[in-house]
Order: sequence, then structure tokens, then C-alpha cells
Amino acid sequence: MDNDVYSFALKTTLSEIRKVCPDVTNAFIFTKDKEIIARDKSTPEKTILRVIDAFDGILEKSDAIGGVKCITLEGGKGKVNVSCVNDLYLVTIASRKADLSYVNTVTHVLIPTVLKLLDKIRPAPLKSSSLTPKLEPKLTKVKEIEETAEEPAEETVEHEIKPESLLPEPPVIQFMVENLGGLLVPSDAVRIDSEALSQWKELYGDRKIKEVEIETFDGKATRCKVTPIKDSKYKGKGVIQMPKKIRLTLEIKKGELVRVKPIVE
Amino acid sequence: MVKKKKSVQEATAMAESRAVEDAMSVSKMRASLKEIKKFDGVIGYILRNSTSAAIDIKDSTKIMDYAVLSSSAFDAGEEFSELFDLGGIENIVIEGKDVKVLSLTINENNISIFMEKNADCNKILRKLREL
Repeated sequence: MDNDVYSFALKTTLSEIRKVCPDVTNAFIFTKDKEIIARDKSTPEKTILRVIDAFDGILEKSDAIGGVKCITLEGGKGKVNVSCVNDLYLVTIASRKADLSYVNTVTHVLIPTVLKLLDKIRPAPLKSSSLTPKLEPKLTKVKEIEETAEEPAEETVEHEIKPESLLPEPPVIQFMVENLGGLLVPSDAVRIDSEALSQWKELYGDRKIKEVEIETFDGKATRCKVTPIKDSKYKGKGVIQMPKKIRLTLEIKKGELVRVKPIVE
Repeated sequence: MVKKKKSVQEATAMAESRAVEDAMSVSKMRASLKEIKKFDGVIGYILRNSTSAAIDIKDSTKIMDYAVLSSSAFDAGEEFSELFDLGGIENIVIEGKDVKVLSLTINENNISIFMEKNADCNKILRKLREL
């Protein structure tokens, strides 16, 4: 509920900023934990995820310059401004003719004021309610299914029920595609968050999960081997590392979202 | 046959003259960057193109971090340009709490200037635009 209030208030603030500064074409806010807090209607979630990904390298090494305060990017047709406001990153994309200092003045007054107000009215941790794909909510749903699946087994002891029929529906998790390359990387296997793998393992006990089924939002699907991601920086980030061959099969690029389902043996 | 030989010679001559021009442009750029490094608050620079790289940073322990930051800035610029149709990226400024980075591309050379947060970024930009 609190998160909804935050998200709604910030979303409204972004719309107001766009009204005050018509040259602003896109605006969105994400946290230092790369979670989307609010976005305007014209910016798809997929685009924001790619932006966050693009910032990763800068933010990772930002300690060397004392942490990022502001990033300004000037292009031939437009400008981008990223400001760090109260531990949030506010991104505004504006046309070439936009007066960035005016846009910044407006945003630097409005956003902190709204945040302060929200904190006074109802203090809550800043988290998006439903915007960023998260592993946990979907996996709890799966646990619920598991629990309901087990109930009839206890009631109908007399009937012979094969263990396969008690298996819960394979949970589908949404992941963001990351490139995977290198000489020793097999082209027929993807890497996913070890947390998701261990939770699947928990769900299916001794059954092995060696493969997954990946489906894009365009309906293209493939089945391939799966291993956990080794790099700790991707832990809990909802990322799937995919070699070029599989990306080409699925006609998908880095930053796009896919649905992944385990193949239980 | 003679015609073919002549066209090969012409192409070689053109390639050579272009290589000489490129080398001159890079050396001119390096000279300019050396001058910029003397500006108030400038910490150092990274100049990189497809064949060579020059790094001059006061604090050698920061070279790796600065190099990654610089290349990440150019990558982010490209991604942003593609996502939001921003056209060619003219410059990127990353302001940190202690240090500011100005990154831009001139004649296929990626340049990043590192400076203290109070240094005059526009003065450096003007100097680089003269190139």
C-alpha cells in the first residue's frame, strides 16, 4: 500500500514535470538497487531496463569519482540528464532545444519536495509495487500451488496417486537477457540466477533441473541447458545470461525480457 | 594493365596520405590535451582510438577505474542514442562528488578529461572543439 502511494505520487510528479517542461520527452526514476520506482507512460519498462543496464558500468566505478551526482549527455537531436536525488536516479530525456538548467531546477525542487512530503505522511521504504520483475512474488505463488497440490494427497490416501501428478506446475519466471560470451562458454546453455535454481530445487526435491524452456514475449521459444550464474554481481538481479546462438534463435537482444520455465526430469 | 597499376598506386597514395593526416591529427590532439592538463583543476586524460591509447592521470592507482568509467560512458552514450534517437553523441559529463569527467569523440578518437568538480568544463570543451 505504502509503495503504491510512493509510486503513484512520483508518477504524478513526473507527469507534472512533463507538463511544465514540454521539451521533456521521457522521464523515469529508479533506485540505486536498480529498481524502477516510477515512469511516464511514454517510456516502456523494457527501455528503462536497458537504460539501467547501460548505467551499470558507470555506477559500478563511480566510487572512483566519489559517487555519481549527475550525468549529462548531449546528442545531436536530444539531451539526457540523470540526477541523483535522495538516493534515487531521476532520468529525463529532452529535445535538443530544451533548457536543461530549467528542467533541472524544476525536477530538483519537485522530486525532493514530494519525497519529503511522502516521508512525513507515511514513512516507507522506497520500493516499486509491481514495476520491476522480481523473483520472490512469483516463487511464493509457486509455493502456494505446491501447498494446494499437497492437500488432496493427504485426503485421498486410499487412491493410488502417482508422484508425478503431485508435482506443482513449473513456475514461470521473468528474466532480463544479458550477453554471454567467451571461448569456454558452451553455445547451448544459459546461465540464470542461482537463487531461482535453488528455489526450483527446493520445490522439486530430488528431481533434476538440467534444462529450461525460454519463451520471448513475441512467442518464440526454445529449450536449452541451464547452469547457475557464477558472477556474484548478478545475484538476485533477475538476469539470464544467454550465448549469441540462443539469442539469435529467439531473435532477442540484451536487455529484453523472457519467460523461463524449468524442465523437471 | 597499366591503368590497373595506376589505380592501385593512387589508392596506396591516398591511404598513406590519410594515415599521415590521422597521425598528425592525433599528435595535434595530444599536444592540445597536454595543454589542457595544465588547466586549473584538471587531473588527467584518456585518449583512445582503434589503434592506440594514451593515458595521463596524476594518481596512477585510479587509472583502471577511470579507464573503465570512460569506456562505460561511451557505451552508455551509444545505448542512449539508440534507445531515444538522440543522434550522434556530442559530449557526456559525469559529475561525481569529488571528480567530474568530460567525454567526447573527435575524429573517431574517444577523449575523457578528468577534473576536480569546480574545474571549468566549458573552457575545456571550447579548447577541444578548436581541434
